[in-house]
Amino acid sequence: MRPIGYVNWRGLWTLYQKEVRRFLNVFTQTLLAPMVTSLLFLAIFHLAIGGRGREVAGIDFTAFLVPGLIMMSIAQNAFANTSSTLVIAKSQGNIVDLLMPPLSPGELVLGLTGGGVTRGLMVGVLVAAAMWLFLPFGIHQPALVVYHAVMAALMLSLLGTIGGIWAEKYDQIAAVTNFVITPFSFLSGTFYSIERLPPLWQNVAHFNPFFYMIDGFRYGLIGHADASPMLGVVVLAGVDALLAVVVYCMFRTGYRLKS
Amino acid sequence: MPRPAPRRIGSVNGLGCWTLCRRGLLRFWRWSWSSLGGICVSSVLLLAVFTLAAGSQSEMVPGISVGTFVGPGVLFFAIAYTAFESGAVLILEDKIEGTIAEVLMAPLAPLEVTVGFMLPPVVNALAAGLAVFLVTLPFTDYVFADPATTLAFAVLDALVFALAGGLVGLWADKWEHYGAAEAFLMLPLGFLSGSFFDLASLPEPARALVQINPLFHAVNGGRSGLTGFSESSLALGAAFLVCLAVPLALLLWRLVFSGYKVRA
Repeated sequence: MRPIGYVNWRGLWTLYQKEVRRFLNVFTQTLLAPMVTSLLFLAIFHLAIGGRGREVAGIDFTAFLVPGLIMMSIAQNAFANTSSTLVIAKSQGNIVDLLMPPLSPGELVLGLTGGGVTRGLMVGVLVAAAMWLFLPFGIHQPALVVYHAVMAALMLSLLGTIGGIWAEKYDQIAAVTNFVITPFSFLSGTFYSIERLPPLWQNVAHFNPFFYMIDGFRYGLIGHADASPMLGVVVLAGVDALLAVVVYCMFRTGYRLKS
Repeated sequence: MPRPAPRRIGSVNGLGCWTLCRRGLLRFWRWSWSSLGGICVSSVLLLAVFTLAAGSQSEMVPGISVGTFVGPGVLFFAIAYTAFESGAVLILEDKIEGTIAEVLMAPLAPLEVTVGFMLPPVVNALAAGLAVFLVTLPFTDYVFADPATTLAFAVLDALVFALAGGLVGLWADKWEHYGAAEAFLMLPLGFLSGSFFDLASLPEPARALVQINPLFHAVNGGRSGLTGFSESSLALGAAFLVCLAVPLALLLWRLVFSGYKVRA
């Protein structure tokens, strides 16, 4: 028998590879379709709103929109990857292939979220490149761009893992996507500056981690932020750490996975 | 004592056709919570972000606010999308699960099968339309110039896209095929129609192209009935949609008749 050290590196790598191959296998669905969808969003908002000289906080509306749309596609695809892999594995019964091998809860968390983060970032790069062709943009602070992209993809991968563990059927995870993830990704500043909101909702926005990931990412790209970028960096790190602990505990106790 | 005999079937198997319709309707009814709820949430979200991004006082075309202009667009997009999805899913699920055999074995003529598969998606899409209309009403300021026109265009919209969905469902062998048709056909048609922007904001070649998009005519007709604003002839739009629905229906009927991708 292969001796396994403190960390089962080969197992972890195998799980990660399986997660990545799973979505690469249907790349038209998992990479190209989200890219087309966000280009369509860019087109309709540009035509309906941006092309008429409207500005958000002194920035051309379409330039303001680009970072929001890139972040939205990163978030939605990271969530979709981890949630779908778990729900499909559960309903097809091959979840045992995840639970039986000598993989610790921490390795499961890393392998699964690694897949989600990879898909989120790949979609993000594709969307950014496609939008750049139509509307070239510079990068204000590359380090912040990378930080927010990775942390947002991680946050949504962890949320997707929680959702996938909780859901027993496809329509339950579809409901979480429709009623939680989509509203949060739409209403957290993707399409408008929160200055537009009434004061009460502006305050609420400051308790919304989705707001910080979009706002910070936008700051990194175009240099405009509604909130302090450093606060966002701290909030995202805190939320990701908290979610990682929750997911770790779920795998450790076998919640909704082992009877 | 009379011997049991099979039920006599006249020239139309009304009971059989209705049973097939009822099955589809019950299936959509069972899913209604997640499917209608989902389309309502995404329609309200789209309308809300449009209104917030443009500013609620902002006008799309003179005299018509952004919400009132985009409202019918969101509504007719929701109808088309639901019709397309339901039309495809009803057939594709039967094919993948193998239950299509039960439909083919039953004493149903191809026309009856076509009706049985197409009526439920149309009804489902109109139900989605009603739900979306109600939840988006607070964002809009309709004058209800001619509600009958809106209703007629809603039916045509649902019919054309249910038929298109039905053809995709018949052609597709797996869910990925449907997903590709949705992402690369339905969504572009939906977004690049007159749903979210007016024709005047488009440069010339695109303006002509949008006018061969069936959803443009559906949205324009529906918007005209709700707001009184129209960008193109309603009679032409209705004729365009009918001229599209008839060949699509004939093609679907023909494919069901020949057993395309269904009978070995």
